[in-house]
Amino acid sequence: MRASVPSRQAILDRIAGALGETRDQTAVGSAKADASPARNYIRRGTLPRGACVELMADRLRQYDAEVVRCSPEQLPATIADQLEASGKRVFAAPEGIPESWRPGKFDWKIDRGLKTEEIEETEGTFTAAFCGIADSGTIALHHSAAEGRRLLTLLPDWHLCILKASQIVETLPEYFDLCKGPVPLATYISGPSATADIEMTRIKGVHGPRFLHVIIVNDAS
Amino acid sequence: MSKIASNRSVLDPRKASPFPIAALPALRNPQLRKNVAHAIDVIQSKRARLVVEKADWQELRSAASAIRSQALENLGKYLEEFEARCTAAGGKVHWAADASEARKIILDLLREEKATEVVKIKTMTSAEIQLNPALETAGVSVFETDLAELILQLGDEDPSHIVVPALHVNRSQVREIFARKMGLKNLSDDPKELTNAARNYLRRKFLTVPTAISGANFLIAETGSVAIVESEGNGRMCLTLPRTLITLAGIEKVLPRFQDLEVMLQVLARSATGERMNPYTSLWTGVTPGDGPQRFHVVLLDNGRSSMLARPVMRQTLKCIRCAACMNTCPVYRQTGGHAYGSVYPGPIGAIFTPQLMQMKHAQSLPFASSLCGACYEVCPVKINIPEVLLELRSQAVNQERKQVLRVFDPLYLGLRVANLLFAKAERFHAAQRLGRIGLWFFTRKDGWIHALPSVGAKWTQTRDLRGLPRQSFRDWWAAREKEAK
Repeated sequence: MRASVPSRQAILDRIAGALGETRDQTAVGSAKADASPARNYIRRGTLPRGACVELMADRLRQYDAEVVRCSPEQLPATIADQLEASGKRVFAAPEGIPESWRPGKFDWKIDRGLKTEEIEETEGTFTAAFCGIADSGTIALHHSAAEGRRLLTLLPDWHLCILKASQIVETLPEYFDLCKGPVPLATYISGPSATADIEMTRIKGVHGPRFLHVIIVNDAS
Repeated sequence: MSKIASNRSVLDPRKASPFPIAALPALRNPQLRKNVAHAIDVIQSKRARLVVEKADWQELRSAASAIRSQALENLGKYLEEFEARCTAAGGKVHWAADASEARKIILDLLREEKATEVVKIKTMTSAEIQLNPALETAGVSVFETDLAELILQLGDEDPSHIVVPALHVNRSQVREIFARKMGLKNLSDDPKELTNAARNYLRRKFLTVPTAISGANFLIAETGSVAIVESEGNGRMCLTLPRTLITLAGIEKVLPRFQDLEVMLQVLARSATGERMNPYTSLWTGVTPGDGPQRFHVVLLDNGRSSMLARPVMRQTLKCIRCAACMNTCPVYRQTGGHAYGSVYPGPIGAIFTPQLMQMKHAQSLPFASSLCGACYEVCPVKINIPEVLLELRSQAVNQERKQVLRVFDPLYLGLRVANLLFAKAERFHAAQRLGRIGLWFFTRKDGWIHALPSVGAKWTQTRDLRGLPRQSFRDWWAAREKEAK
């Protein structure tokens, strides 16, 4: 390809030289390279389910996110209330969001390859999530059919996210266990976009959605 | 309105003045010192609160340190693994031996793209290789999209911190810059209004500029993925909207496994901004059909890093995950701010990283820009023993000086040599004490202090008082006491 091929070799040789290895050894890979280091930190939370869900809601509220909790039966009505209260009419949603969750009185742009401009014109977005991490109030998106591609939860100024209580884990390591192996594409959201670049004053909403609303569905407790 | 220290300080270690001289403008600028102290006080107190809350903080630090050490001890293997996986996922990996090669690779890629504009996510690595001036020279307009970087770019300022690069600029200074550059005469200095102005200014750029340049927080060897942590969403914009993404990353940024993120993400945000988690973390692998840039390049930059690997003492420098906790806690940084370090990497980590990047040919004064109090080591989430590296670099710097002929005439070295002679024998020391008492008597004031000394001695008394020698030394007193007892 381009001139970086000789540099590749030069850099790898320099690394090997500095570490006192020959190239062959690095290629084979030593045993120490593959052993996972000691993980004596907390890998499992201790809170009972209810308290864990409560912690998630608390942490989200600390990020200025709006949190509502409801039963599975109340979900469609709760969604409708949230959408109504937003004062917005035009919403984007990924294909995987069930039709029963989308009240007909709003203008829905379903993402079957929406153009960027079309997403930009919507006022809000509505998605599911892969899971919630209570300890840091984080919502993990793996961008499945119901979570939408990355742009969908970025351009609209208002984001409504549905999280089932059974999807909430207490600690970050539990999330990694839940993944069952590496995830190729993910976004972790901890509150609405924010900055503290001017005199460390926290300002909510810079480029991402300024408003994050989360409905926690009590399906487990 | 007070002017900010010196708009363009020299952040090129090849040209920067030695630290004690470079620090003077900052020390004489009360506004700057107030801005810096305020910002780091806020971050520090937030960090302290969140670290206490984490019962397993020390275990997390140990794991983070072990993961980073393992990555560096097997760096070649992990880089090759990263390259293979990233390539398999549709990315293209380029290797740059130094800054000029990295700039050339990026410029060639932009030429292929026929790019006239790029949007950028904050990357200190791009500042290290002085990418922006090279892009502008080649006719490519650069739009920094991180709020702090935008403030610096529009105000023609240099970064003074690696996480909050514009912390030395206060709200009224930001207002002045934005009003001038964005043509918003009625802008107030309310941070909310200023942030909103930035949002509007950049929105069109995000939607229309087809090429983005980013740095990387982590490269995952196991999967070929890249992770970026951020707060504002400008990162996500640059990572999803453009057609082409170019990621510039130092070779040390690699982590062995996906699972290692469970440690790094827990320590990074808490250490950096005092948050449990930063608002947005993006993780992607090569190219995802139908989602985000369809052309993805990673430029792996050495630029002096591989030379730090040879000795474990020095190697630990590369464990750094750029959280800036060390500069936030450093009593020296607190007084001088970042520009005095003459590098895009200021503070304690900069004091050990920059001289090594320069292979000790420049920036040799930086290892001395520390009181060796050890606060940086204590807060470091990956347990870099910064004082240990500082001492090692100091000894290297002294050994360099030792070879210079001129040092023979340097009063400091002459003085040390004389001291060496005096301390060698008890009688000499005793004699020197007596002579000293007579000599200094003239300069000692009634309060027992020496406020001013002439000539070379003035170097000491310029900034501090010296206690005069007592009429009777301990040795004299002891000798007299022994005599009496008999």
